[in-house]
Amino acid sequence: MTREAILKYKRRLALRNLLILMGGLFLLLVSLFVSMNAGYSKLSILDTLNTVAGKGTATHELILFQYRLPRIVISILIGAGLALSGCLIQGISRNPLAEPGLLGINAGAGMMVILYALLLGITNFSSIFTLPFLALIGAAGAAISVYLLAYKKQEGISSERLILTGIAVQAGISALTTILIVNLDDMRFSIVSGWQAGQIWGANWQYVLTLLPWLCVLIPYCLYKAKSLDVLNLGDEVALALGMPVEKERRKILIVAVMLAACCVSVGGNISFVGLIAPHLARRMVGPKHQILLPVCALTGAVLVCIADTLGRMLIQPSSIPTGIMTAIIGAPYFIYLLVRR
Amino acid sequence: MINSIATENLAVAYGENLVVDDLDMQIPQEKITSIIGPNGCGKSTVLKAVGRILKPKGGMVYLNGHDIRSLSTKEVAQKMAILPQSPQAPAGLTVGELVAYGRFPHQRGFGKLKPEDKKIIQWALDVTRLSEHETTAVDNLSGGQRQRVWIAMALAQQTDLILLDEPTTYLDLAYQLEILELLFRLNREQGCTIVMVLHDLNLAARFSDYMIAIRGGDVIRHGLPEVVMTADVLKETFRIDAEIVTEPRTGRPVCISYDLIKDGVN
Repeated sequence: MTREAILKYKRRLALRNLLILMGGLFLLLVSLFVSMNAGYSKLSILDTLNTVAGKGTATHELILFQYRLPRIVISILIGAGLALSGCLIQGISRNPLAEPGLLGINAGAGMMVILYALLLGITNFSSIFTLPFLALIGAAGAAISVYLLAYKKQEGISSERLILTGIAVQAGISALTTILIVNLDDMRFSIVSGWQAGQIWGANWQYVLTLLPWLCVLIPYCLYKAKSLDVLNLGDEVALALGMPVEKERRKILIVAVMLAACCVSVGGNISFVGLIAPHLARRMVGPKHQILLPVCALTGAVLVCIADTLGRMLIQPSSIPTGIMTAIIGAPYFIYLLVRR
Repeated sequence: MINSIATENLAVAYGENLVVDDLDMQIPQEKITSIIGPNGCGKSTVLKAVGRILKPKGGMVYLNGHDIRSLSTKEVAQKMAILPQSPQAPAGLTVGELVAYGRFPHQRGFGKLKPEDKKIIQWALDVTRLSEHETTAVDNLSGGQRQRVWIAMALAQQTDLILLDEPTTYLDLAYQLEILELLFRLNREQGCTIVMVLHDLNLAARFSDYMIAIRGGDVIRHGLPEVVMTADVLKETFRIDAEIVTEPRTGRPVCISYDLIKDGVN
């Protein structure tokens, strides 16, 4: 290949990546718009446009701005956050099957939600921030215990140990959770099972405002770590040889991944598969370089959860299928397809 | 003789299992040094400990006279490149992208490649004859090409000292020679100090200025190939009965035939 051909190839690649990024944004806007139209109360496309432009009726404004939009925004934020978290965890563990749930994040958060419902017995939650806060603590607690159990003094954290410990801790917590669930009365059970199914319940602007500042700090930090992730992807030995303090860097990225997933799960409930599928999809589109992979991955996750949430609201009316179930319904077949194709 | 690397009472362990104990070793500057020894003798372990990929359990490693622990891992990477045995590239990564990581120790922040970085990467691709494959995915290359890509990455680090763990594994005869001749040229033309673990004794003797024979974590003999490639040393190191002659084409010792030692033990 000549010099010019290589330059041309590089330019084409850059253009392609840009197009994928733009395409992702466009898809997000489309799903946002479709999502605004979907739901029990019918809003025609014209109604939606009018309301967005500020010319809608009071009812339409209430439905759109107070009920639907916050939920859509939350689903988009959660999608992006979980997808990035999955991408980081897959990056530092060099394992394509790794995802936030594997670090016990979902299980830990779920456990706290159930403990709360069981012990304090309050069915309508005292403050709207109590549950997300507890879920956050549960998620962080589980992730920290996975890390500490996987840590070995001399070698630090190896990818395999991290994942195997994660599976063990997750299974343990899930077992405990099941025992606890049996003891719940019907009322509490419905709240807990709603959480377990990933029913986005934090659907108002206050939750958006609590989630947003975290993401505004964490997501740029992820992008800043793109180069480190690339080097870590070469394996521990090569990364060390290239002068990367592997253990320190991995811990930093792990903390960010846990924080991202924990705050998403705390508001969104147990939403599975996004952290696993979105990085896969993104990697197939743009390859392993994190500088482009991370933004595409975040977009993919956002679109995925937005679509899942929309479908969940459209398929069964007037009730809806929980978003977490929908992501699993979409995600599982794709994942099986991936495995079969190999 | 000035030493690039020296170890003092070096001890390395995997868990509780002490692989290397009390090792004193010197690597001369601007020379090609080969470490030879039987499987499991600790030669890769020594290389990794020297390259600070493994944390030693005890003892000292000196890099150009400085305690290696007094330098940050990034500073070390600017002075010394180490290529582990058969590393794996992430799927879909291209040759050019992988080689560009060699510039990582010299970058800050977001790590944008400067024109001089690009020049060095191009040089590394040229000397390893990979320029044509710059945009090919590493996982689409043959084993020999892949090995050259990793070497190119180590070269892009632009260090005076390069450590390689069995750089010729999986390669056929021509590729083995090609890699070793490349390292030889780097040494003679750029004055790079090369340290490698090699399995092939004859290639080691042919391309090295200095050899170190290790068994059970101890240095059996070190010195010029003529000193190390002797029937006695090979007997002690590999438990083989070797026939050594001087090869007329290179003037270096070669092992033309060998047998297992059949003594009273077996």
